[in-house]
Amino acid sequence: MRVSHEIEITPSRVVLSGVPVAVSETGGKMLVELYRRYAGDYPKFFKMDTLCRLGFIGAELLLKQSGISSPVSAIIFANRSASIKNDNDYLATISEGNYYPSPALFVYTLPNIVTGEIAIRHHIQGETSFYILDNPEQLKPIVEASVNPDLTPSTCVLAGWCECSEADTFYAKLQIIWNN
Amino acid sequence: MEQLIEQLKSQIIEALNFEDMTPADIDTDAPLFGEGLGLDSIDALELIMLMDREYGIKLADPKAGKAIFQSVRTMAEYIQANRTK
Amino acid sequence: MVYCIGHNVISPLGEGSQANLEAVRAGRSGLRMYDHRFANVEPFCASLFDEPQAFVPLCIRSVEMAVSGQPALVSSKDTVFILSTTKGDNLDLWTPATAIAEHFGNPNPPVVVSNACTSGVCAQITAKRLLEAGKYKYAVVVGCDIQSRFIVSGFQSFKALSPEPCRPFSPERQGLNLGEAAATIIYTAEPKSRGWRLVAGSIHNDANHLSAPSRTGEGAFQCLTDVMVGASPADIGLLGVHGTATLYNDAMEQTAIERAGLQQVPVSALKPFFGHTMGAAGVLETILCMLQAERSFVKMLSGFGGVNAAIRMQCE
Repeated sequence: MRVSHEIEITPSRVVLSGVPVAVSETGGKMLVELYRRYAGDYPKFFKMDTLCRLGFIGAELLLKQSGISSPVSAIIFANRSASIKNDNDYLATISEGNYYPSPALFVYTLPNIVTGEIAIRHHIQGETSFYILDNPEQLKPIVEASVNPDLTPSTCVLAGWCECSEADTFYAKLQIIWNN
Repeated sequence: MEQLIEQLKSQIIEALNFEDMTPADIDTDAPLFGEGLGLDSIDALELIMLMDREYGIKLADPKAGKAIFQSVRTMAEYIQANRTK
Repeated sequence: MVYCIGHNVISPLGEGSQANLEAVRAGRSGLRMYDHRFANVEPFCASLFDEPQAFVPLCIRSVEMAVSGQPALVSSKDTVFILSTTKGDNLDLWTPATAIAEHFGNPNPPVVVSNACTSGVCAQITAKRLLEAGKYKYAVVVGCDIQSRFIVSGFQSFKALSPEPCRPFSPERQGLNLGEAAATIIYTAEPKSRGWRLVAGSIHNDANHLSAPSRTGEGAFQCLTDVMVGASPADIGLLGVHGTATLYNDAMEQTAIERAGLQQVPVSALKPFFGHTMGAAGVLETILCMLQAERSFVKMLSGFGGVNAAIRMQCE
């Protein structure tokens, strides 16, 4: 198992393979700033919830800036809170006195949707998987088994921790991992 | 009717998360689906919910939506004729 | 290859794998109309327990029934618990997984698979990988989802629910019914001379749209192709399909099945009996297919709105 590239995103800091990425905003506004600067051609970004925007931006920077989207054959993410932030936003549309369930919000009430958004954006028809674990360390044995050439066909995986509990409380650490 | 059309455009922009758009950017008679705004099936469902929430119109059959959501104008005309709020 | 050494199903049709098989054989369905079960929600057709169930105790009971006769297995350091669920216990997925593992005295951190409707099949594939990689000797895979106002209201906003019992692959199909259940399947890497083994698994995303499948059934077709390596359509005795009875899912599955040359294989579509049990579906339906097809080869396919997963089971 070999890691070739990595990105870490907190509400105030972005570090791409050891190099800080300049940002002037923080929290959710920072994700929008990064979208405008490094993508800007994908209006669907504004439909996404914060968890998806986080994963989308992380993948966008990692794949585009590193110029290696074509070998990626699997996207394997994990977090602890599932889609709780967006779940709460959806709950607000089904309160007893004001019941108007929003389909646009309900779409994002599954944590694995973030892997789907990335697969659609980068045309990746390989595996997409999402795990709920206690911490990022616990993803390692799963990714190892998922990129083992004796066990799966995936030769290159975009994997990592993608966690969001509030609008401006999130953390992501994504890596490109090869099987040799 | 013009006031309703303006209001509807703002509501559509907000409901469908068109972050960078203003009502002036939406052509009243352009197709909402396909070309034009390029809305998808989830957007159609969200517009159905918008009509219920803002105008008290319940659309039981989503297929009827095709004719109603041709353009902002057809949508406004339908709302004008059927609103209960 | 990994070997099945225990299983269980608990659903509105009964407690125990055999009880559920008998119900299906007798043509009994759990689907009913519900009106005042959840506030504000329009009447809906679903398969629900008579008494609302608590998530963790339901999973624990299912695991207990699956492991009966092998009690030391659950607390062993060589055993991993894998929970398949979409909305867990009131939107919390991690806490119930930990509670289940702790109840059985298992020392390892549990793994939760949350991959929408394919979770149950993906959880079995995860078990296969972890066992074949030598990380553990046993995997207890439990799939469970409980229906709620949250879930039903959401599917109603999609207008995806059928007002009557679902009819997979019928030209008159009107959508899906929701369901709830718990199902457990236990795998080991230790070879067994008799019984069911999981021989192949595959997961593919259509990369088409978040909630609509690819019209050409791309992901499902790739899954079928992957798991059919080493076997031909003539070898397959039963094909378990997702068959949610939505317009697009069934059309996509049919396309994928035809592209893979499997259109002559008898098909098991179980959602008219159990409804769509979400996180439990992949596990429950694997078990029911195994029981229906003892002494045959079986295929299992599951997919909705993008993610597709398939496993091939073989019986000696």
